[in-house]
Amino acid sequence: MPARCFVLLSALLLFPATLFGQARIPDKPAGAPSEIYRSVVRIEAAVQVPDYSAPWNSGRFGGGIGTGFIIGKNQILTNAHVVSNARRLLVTVHGSPEKYPAKVDFIAHDCDLALLSVEDFSDFDDFPVFKIGGVPELESQVRVIGYPIGGDRLSVTRGVVSRIDYSSYSHSRADQHLVIQIDAAINPGNSGGPVLQDGRVIGVAFQGRRDADNTGYIIPTPVINRFLTDIKDGSYDHYVDLAISTFPLFNPAMRKALQLPADGQGVLISNVISHGTCDGFLKAGDLLVSIDGHPIDSAGQILIDGAKVEFSEIVERKFAGDTVQLRYRSDGVWHDQDIPLKNLPQNQMYAIQYEKQPRYIVFGGLVFQPLDTNLFASESFNDLHVRALYQDYLSKGIFLERPDIVIMTRLLADPINSRLDEFQGMAVDKINGTTVTTLDQAQELLSQTPEKGFHVIEFLGGKRPLVLPADQVADANDRVQRTYEIDQLVNLKE
Amino acid sequence: MRARHLICYSLAGSFVFTGCDRTAPAPSETPPVVVIPEAPVPAADLTHSVVRVNTTYQAWNPGQPWEKLEPRQRRSLGAVLKNHQVLTTAEMVADSTFIELESSDGRKLTPATVTAVDYEANLALLALDDDEFSADLEPLDLADDSKIGDELDIVQIENSGLPLITHGLIQSMDVVSNFLPGQYFLTYELKASMQTAASSFTLPALKDGKLAGLLTSYSSSDQLSDITATEIVRHFLADAADGDYVGFPSLGISTAALDDDKFRDWLGLDPQTGGIYISGVLKGGAAEAAGVQVGDVVTSIAGFEVDPTGYIQHPIYGRLFWSHLVRGAQPVGATLPLEVIRNGEKQTLEATLTRRESSLVPLHTFGEAPRFVVKGGLVFQELTRDLLRSFGKEWRDNAPLNLLEAYDNPEAFEDRMDHVVFLAGVIPTPATIGYESLRNLIVTEVNEQPIRDMKSLAQAFETVPANGLHTIRFDDQEVPIELDESVSTVVDGQLLQRGLSRLSRLE
Repeated sequence: MPARCFVLLSALLLFPATLFGQARIPDKPAGAPSEIYRSVVRIEAAVQVPDYSAPWNSGRFGGGIGTGFIIGKNQILTNAHVVSNARRLLVTVHGSPEKYPAKVDFIAHDCDLALLSVEDFSDFDDFPVFKIGGVPELESQVRVIGYPIGGDRLSVTRGVVSRIDYSSYSHSRADQHLVIQIDAAINPGNSGGPVLQDGRVIGVAFQGRRDADNTGYIIPTPVINRFLTDIKDGSYDHYVDLAISTFPLFNPAMRKALQLPADGQGVLISNVISHGTCDGFLKAGDLLVSIDGHPIDSAGQILIDGAKVEFSEIVERKFAGDTVQLRYRSDGVWHDQDIPLKNLPQNQMYAIQYEKQPRYIVFGGLVFQPLDTNLFASESFNDLHVRALYQDYLSKGIFLERPDIVIMTRLLADPINSRLDEFQGMAVDKINGTTVTTLDQAQELLSQTPEKGFHVIEFLGGKRPLVLPADQVADANDRVQRTYEIDQLVNLKE
Repeated sequence: MRARHLICYSLAGSFVFTGCDRTAPAPSETPPVVVIPEAPVPAADLTHSVVRVNTTYQAWNPGQPWEKLEPRQRRSLGAVLKNHQVLTTAEMVADSTFIELESSDGRKLTPATVTAVDYEANLALLALDDDEFSADLEPLDLADDSKIGDELDIVQIENSGLPLITHGLIQSMDVVSNFLPGQYFLTYELKASMQTAASSFTLPALKDGKLAGLLTSYSSSDQLSDITATEIVRHFLADAADGDYVGFPSLGISTAALDDDKFRDWLGLDPQTGGIYISGVLKGGAAEAAGVQVGDVVTSIAGFEVDPTGYIQHPIYGRLFWSHLVRGAQPVGATLPLEVIRNGEKQTLEATLTRRESSLVPLHTFGEAPRFVVKGGLVFQELTRDLLRSFGKEWRDNAPLNLLEAYDNPEAFEDRMDHVVFLAGVIPTPATIGYESLRNLIVTEVNEQPIRDMKSLAQAFETVPANGLHTIRFDDQEVPIELDESVSTVVDGQLLQRGLSRLSRLE
């Protein structure tokens, strides 16, 4: 995954927030060359990150510094990763010792943006407001403003736009959107700060690279505008997508077999995800030739404003409930179909989750957790079944049968569970004969009195069933709860 | 049970035996150089009973199966047996292109051929046809079975040709997998401190001047050696005697320990009884034929009571894992009584041992050239363990899941195919435009013919469909790819010109 080489700028700056907070002598607010600099604020976040290895624990307390900027009345734009999992947010302005408590109004982890408000905006009322501009030209100069490491005061850097491209947003690990690469030195703490050209915001500084010097990445205005439009209805919906895979059609033999002219148009549908946008319309083997009137070439690209982009760019700019017009051939019949776009919540299997409490069950010292990317990142799963379930969760529609893939992640050693080590890291298939589909259902199955007095847990690929004598579980739970300091043995809520 | 990593066995440089003279007794004609003083000095002159084995070997290139990798060399020792035969390890002859025997003094050389090889048990028998070389040889007899506490002598040869004897004590017995994974055979664990230079190759182990086994690996940190047990060598030689080597049999079961009291309770087993749980029965294996079922509890094998962890009490070797009773103690065709508990009732079954192993993904392909087809730039190969290993040291984590699944769970594939034919890679050619990123896809059908092995793939390509396009379907992929016959024929000609020696190998 290319996202690995990115550095989340604020993530590098984790230290107890208590180190900060000494009052500074007020500076003349006009220390900066332009008044607009007053509207770039410093954001101090105290965070609590859940511990997926010990999900009953409080998690790790920490903090970080980022930047934000005022884009409207009591609207401060910043990066989602600056304020993710935040327990306390404080905003300071250039030249003032005052710390203003703030809260997150909207957060979009898939495009790494968040909108904050302060409890009392009256001190900011006369601050200038940043205007959102357009997409800068290649080679044009931009200014990055923020509060990076190396000092307490505002910092300004100049850079040149080096590339405008689709790239990974490392915050969620699963998303790709438009990104502008600049050659300005963006440093930890710059995250969430405005990038300006001709007095207007052309992007939000958000990530850097570990493996290259003088490269910074910024979120461009199409992504910012989409976020701001999306939240107008009072909530943030995720990006939508077509939920299909396509195969390029520039091999002449492929075209001949599909009886297509050699006009370089169209892609082959290779997979349609169940319950996704195109389910019920498209199927594997269909030929997709245009989207909203833009002809799709055989590499899957369309021409917009003179530039070749992936055809999915059309969908990038749309919202849940919007329609997209597809022209496709299915079983020899041509269709022009308006298809309503929707988000597939199961997509979240592959995105890092924030603001969520890990779900778990501790039962007789056995710890059960639903598989997601947070868990996958904190444990190393070697079991082939678990890896396959994760890989195929969406593409093969595993989620239809098993919305949760329940893993026995660890054993909290107790007399009831000796000799059960072999089952750690395996996926639960059945509990007392019933296929396990969700963690809630697993909990329900475990709370019933089993036949023959034994709970029987079968694992995918297990050499034998795991059994627990039902009448000993309550005592074991007591012991485990006391010995391992587990306040709640079960948490089913995120 | 324990698998041990092997250190490589090319003998680099020379031994350094500083201090040898101080510990050596007064030199006789050809004295052992190192002797632990209290140990008996082997009376026999070993220089005529041990030869050097020098082999040149050459493996196939996993990514480009039409060619071989660079040839390399290995050196080790072999034990001279009667009838001009020499015993060494299978790893010494794996992928060999030339085997040469060298007298311990280095003055005589003669080529040798392999008459029997068992890669599972890691043993090989070499024959030489050179009366002059043979004239000086003094064959070793096979020793009796050893037990814990017995003393063995490990034989090495110095560059000077002098034998170097290290004396050690058998500390334990175990079934060990020392060459191929999952192939467990009775092994003596010998405690002896050897020179580091002698850490890594096949060495004869003697008991009272008779051959007791072959040392296959040495751990300098533990000062422990693995020595293939005399019983395994004896059965190997007996099997090889008729010139038609069969190999060690198997029962075809996988088992789980029954040391979990709760699980025993659930099964309704008496806490006093032993037995292991049958977690899998190989289709077409000896156990299946005998009527063994998943869920059975095997309490006794060949008259030996099996404890809940799978161990038996052996009259010679002591506490030993049950597998030796099948794989080691018996030839193919032997019958063994099995006592099982099924649904609370004791039953006696009789298993006739066979050599049924899953061959879907071969454990090794030594001595066999890889099967492949290159067509229009698409490179098809048959999956082997060596190909999986080419995904690097961490291949279990790095190899594609679909290929690992075929390796781990062959029974899910075996009704559809005999071998796993997969698209290993794509050479960019005019016929493969747009296919460059395809790899590691298991082929299920070509031109609507099911693909069971490489031969059937080649056959399926022989019939050209009316539209001149071959349709290739892959496992897990809903849409097929197409290959133009006329374009690929031209491309194939060019590939041959570009230096591919051949475009297919089906046998």
